[in-house]
Amino acid sequence: MLSYLITFRNGLISIENLLAAASLLLILLLVALQIFSRNLFDIGLPNIDTLSRQLVLFIIFFGSMLAIERRQHITIDIICSLCPASRRPLFRFLNLVAVGICTIFTFSAMRFWKDAWQYASPSEHWQVLIGLIIPAGFMLLSLHFFLSVILGPDRITYKMTAP
Amino acid sequence: MILLATLLLVVLALAGLPLFVALGGGSLLLAANGSLDSALLIIELNRLASSPNLIAIPLFTLAGVLLAAGGAPQRLIRLFNAMLGWLPGGIAIVTLTVCAFFTSFSGASGVTILALGGLLFPLLTKAQYPEKFSLGLLTTSGSLGLLFPPSLAILLYGIVAGVNIDDLFLAGIVPGLLLMLILAAYALVVGIRFKVPRREYSSQHLWKTIRASAGDIALPVFLITGIFGGFVTISEAAAATVIYVLLLETLIHRSLSIKTQFYPVLIDATVLAGSILIILGMAMGLTNLLIDAQLPMHLLDWIEDRVSSPLQFLLLLNVFLLVVGAMMDIFSATVVVIPLILPLAQRFGIDPIHLGIIFLANLEIGYCTPPVGMNLFIACQRFQKPVILLFLSTLPFLLLMLLWLLLVTYFPVLSLWWRS
Repeated sequence: MLSYLITFRNGLISIENLLAAASLLLILLLVALQIFSRNLFDIGLPNIDTLSRQLVLFIIFFGSMLAIERRQHITIDIICSLCPASRRPLFRFLNLVAVGICTIFTFSAMRFWKDAWQYASPSEHWQVLIGLIIPAGFMLLSLHFFLSVILGPDRITYKMTAP
Repeated sequence: MILLATLLLVVLALAGLPLFVALGGGSLLLAANGSLDSALLIIELNRLASSPNLIAIPLFTLAGVLLAAGGAPQRLIRLFNAMLGWLPGGIAIVTLTVCAFFTSFSGASGVTILALGGLLFPLLTKAQYPEKFSLGLLTTSGSLGLLFPPSLAILLYGIVAGVNIDDLFLAGIVPGLLLMLILAAYALVVGIRFKVPRREYSSQHLWKTIRASAGDIALPVFLITGIFGGFVTISEAAAATVIYVLLLETLIHRSLSIKTQFYPVLIDATVLAGSILIILGMAMGLTNLLIDAQLPMHLLDWIEDRVSSPLQFLLLLNVFLLVVGAMMDIFSATVVVIPLILPLAQRFGIDPIHLGIIFLANLEIGYCTPPVGMNLFIACQRFQKPVILLFLSTLPFLLLMLLWLLLVTYFPVLSLWWRS
């Protein structure tokens, strides 16, 4: 059972890696395109700014999901810094609290998204569709924290660091 | 009940609950207390997507990670060593310069100590600098470039405080250089006192290193000209920097492989940027609820009863920010603390740009201050030395930085000279 979960988690991380990298690359390309079109042809491309700003939400969520697996999230962590022995016993409990909070945010984001879709004009529907990343992102964050609760602190953390 | 839950959340945050989760939990509690729909918090998160400068954060992060992966730190060390290594205290001054340069691009996320510490520590000890001095220097240098463009911390402050980022970049230059000069003077004294042998100056070698790293040293010039010359916006400057660094590392130096290294670099940058920005998103919701609950106004009333002059306020602010800096990292402190202190500072006539520099200067010092100064722990891990030794090693540097902080705080002209 655990090995299935680890395989599932690794598969999930591979997809998230791909989407994270693609989002950042796309932002870079869109902003570069805007610079060239404005400076070379004196025209600004419509919606490029809006799209690249929306893509930052993808960076936020995919980056955060991967940061959970790399244990790279920013923490205050005074207690564990002063008493490293408390780190292991607390691990599952802290992740469980995170599951609860992220799940509440998932439902809040779903309500927000439904309202946004309902009140958006047809020309804004594409932006609202991109905004689906907010409920989906919170749901995936909950899932990652949940997997950490099940797998515990000793399971191999998927890591890919630039050489 | 709410108070108890809040206390529990604070304890969990101190025990290592990711800060964005703790802030999210706090906002949910406040929303529940005010019988508000928690979907309001999502509106704030979604509002992030309307900030035009926000795109610059992931892009500058990518530029920093690309520079690190492409070997820019090694090239810069060779260059500044050839340029300044012949001075008394030369290698220590090289360390300060390289670290400041690198941190301004990589953000003070500990990358500087991790990427440069391994190269510079043996260089310093081999040059016969005392071990304690070398450790203190490297631990302090990990956050040195915070006030130079295109520092992520400045970008974040500008976004949170709603202040013009170009102005902040200008304001940080003189205080940043002043700190470098103070620390360089100390390095010079140590170099002379311990009779550290100096390397011979060779113009031929210097020329060779300049040619090898011309692309790297042109980068800040290119960036400053682009932004202050009005050719590009902050976000466009960030994209242009990434393209420049990418071309430099792949075509000119050929030190970065698009095939094998670019993908992991993109992911590393996303993780770094994502873990900072999610805190910003969560804190925006919390801050709004705190403002709705009139917390800044209550705080203002409380302080106005006790503090009468801007001078007193600045002193109190410094003490408070030093404590914050010792407890929180710079990014979370910015998004949590700034919305609370900004109205107070404005009430006492402190310019928001000057406040930004004071704020960042305090947190720069906080990075090396116990109990949880992040640089202390990163250096502890990097150099495999006990935290207490690292703290004692950084003590002389901390004292000098406190002196610098007083200068920056009480002489606003250092930050606002360009206004005249």
